[in-house]
Amino acid sequence: MKTIHWILLGVLTVISFIAELTQEPRHWWEQIPGFYIIFGFVGCVVIIVVSKALGKLFLQKDEDYYDVR
Amino acid sequence: MFGDFYLPPFAYMIVGAFILPLLPKSARSTAFLLFPLLALIVVWTQPFGEVMTATLASYTLILAKADPLSRIFGTIFSLIAIIGGVYAFKLKEVGQQAAALLYAGGSLGVVFAGDYFTLFMFWELMAVSSTYLIWARRTKDAENAGMRYVIVHLFGGGMLFSGILLHLSSGGSLLVQQILPGDSTLSSWLILAGVCLNAAVPPLHAWLADAYPKATVTGSVFLSAFTTKTAVYVLIRIFPGWEILIVLGVIMALYGVVYAVLANDIREILAYHIISQVGYMVTGVGIGTALALNGAVAHAFCHILYKALLFMGAGVALHTTGTARLVELGGIARYQKAAVALYMIGAFSISGFPLFNGFISKSMVVTAAGYAHYDAAMLLLLLASVGTFLHTGLKLPYFTWFGEYKGIRPSKTPVEMLVAMGIAAFFCMLIGVMPGLLYAYLPFDATYRPYNIPHLVETTQILTFTFVGFWVLRGKLAGDYTIAIDTDWFYRKPAKPARIVFIDWVNAFFDACEKAGYDAAHSIAALSKNPVRFFMPDGSNDITYSPNRYRVTVATIVVSVLVSFVLFAFAGLLT
Repeated sequence: MKTIHWILLGVLTVISFIAELTQEPRHWWEQIPGFYIIFGFVGCVVIIVVSKALGKLFLQKDEDYYDVR
Repeated sequence: MFGDFYLPPFAYMIVGAFILPLLPKSARSTAFLLFPLLALIVVWTQPFGEVMTATLASYTLILAKADPLSRIFGTIFSLIAIIGGVYAFKLKEVGQQAAALLYAGGSLGVVFAGDYFTLFMFWELMAVSSTYLIWARRTKDAENAGMRYVIVHLFGGGMLFSGILLHLSSGGSLLVQQILPGDSTLSSWLILAGVCLNAAVPPLHAWLADAYPKATVTGSVFLSAFTTKTAVYVLIRIFPGWEILIVLGVIMALYGVVYAVLANDIREILAYHIISQVGYMVTGVGIGTALALNGAVAHAFCHILYKALLFMGAGVALHTTGTARLVELGGIARYQKAAVALYMIGAFSISGFPLFNGFISKSMVVTAAGYAHYDAAMLLLLLASVGTFLHTGLKLPYFTWFGEYKGIRPSKTPVEMLVAMGIAAFFCMLIGVMPGLLYAYLPFDATYRPYNIPHLVETTQILTFTFVGFWVLRGKLAGDYTIAIDTDWFYRKPAKPARIVFIDWVNAFFDACEKAGYDAAHSIAALSKNPVRFFMPDGSNDITYSPNRYRVTVATIVVSVLVSFVLFAFAGLLT
């Protein structure tokens, strides 16, 4: 990821945010400005953290788990 | 098609499967493409309505019945069989080719079946023929996984068939038609459970993530298309509006996402994302409005295209490097740029990027959930789509093709694989850019425009910030040498205790009985060696019978008897 990529993503975010302000909210959560920005980031983090925690707690086993006699 | 001559679509595939082995080896791959092509032509030329019936005992079977719903599914199943045939063009293994044709033919059979018996027959044909695509990998792992796969599917088929029989015996119709949501009889639940098993609805889903990553490179492309989507078709046909499907569908969508975080095998990541994507379709069926059902159909159609494309891309990595494990792959993008680019089209499609087909199909279900005021379902489906992009669009390509180079030099990517990926990618983009092409043939009466500002805003923001989240936490996502246990634990782990109880113990019992029997026979035989000794007053210990020992005694008795006899006889004569 070069700086230019991050700048492009930033521009995209700003454009989408401005476009968002021109729209009427369709659902209650859309009254929060930039809701989908928060949703995308927090959702991503939550998915990784929760899944990894579940994996560590009881889902992940050694690869030969089912072969051990 | 040829005057009055008519064969239903499935017949071309199934007959093809039997013709294929008779053809010379060099002609088989070309012929393989011909059969689904013929089927596709028939799908589009046959009239709507009951086009072929047969009589079995007192039942009238409707072997083929066409309507807009079956036509759209028939189209995509034929199309993907052609694309799969191109991908497997260099495959010179008639067993796999015939199995793939039977499997695809079975799916067409289910889609055009007008009655439950016909449907069930093709349902089982699919289960059996698809198993071969797993076994054909010829590894110990694939052999075991294939056996589990077929056992689970025969169990599911058993539930379906029990449901059908109960349904018939309680006066239900043999025709495949909608069961109203209120009608929760045992037969309906059994049919639903049987179908849900094939749709990979948790907890009946573990067969999918267990078996698909272990199938052959080409086999997994076919597997990804047919089984779950025929089940979705049957759900749309029989169970629209069953609200429990909303709950199950949302669980599916997230379940696949969680497991995809933990998966290390690239085809396992994709397999878990089949479960996740089918979750959208199942949710759509559960919502049951025209828009939601159209969404389920459209998403099934688009999903088959991009998921086959993704499996083909993962197949290229596996085929050229010999491994599908994230921990061993990495940094090989420069050797297979075309494959990576085509894979990314699939990844953008499944993630719902604008201009790709996921954008115009997934959003139908999500929007329908919003319209029907299932707010929680809508938000959770959006969350699942974060996970979709995270894994299929970011984690998998990053650790497979980019990231750190682990030293595997891949062999050259076969051209026919790239051609097949190109065809699938073309359709993914075509439908993404011109959704009207697909929407025109959706069976239910609802209009939807995917390209509107709020939808574009929502998608842009979610995808951009999923990427940011991935970039921050990407270190956590590298694969490691583990597996994640799933509900197959419940039949894989107890297999050992079950084996001890039902095989080892039973064997031990029979061994013990046998031994006891022999011992008894042995001691009785020992007793019978010399029964005379039991009558001897001196308690002789002589176990072995010896005639000499008793010769004198016996002779004395016999002589005295004879003498007495002679004496008595003589006395009788005198008187």
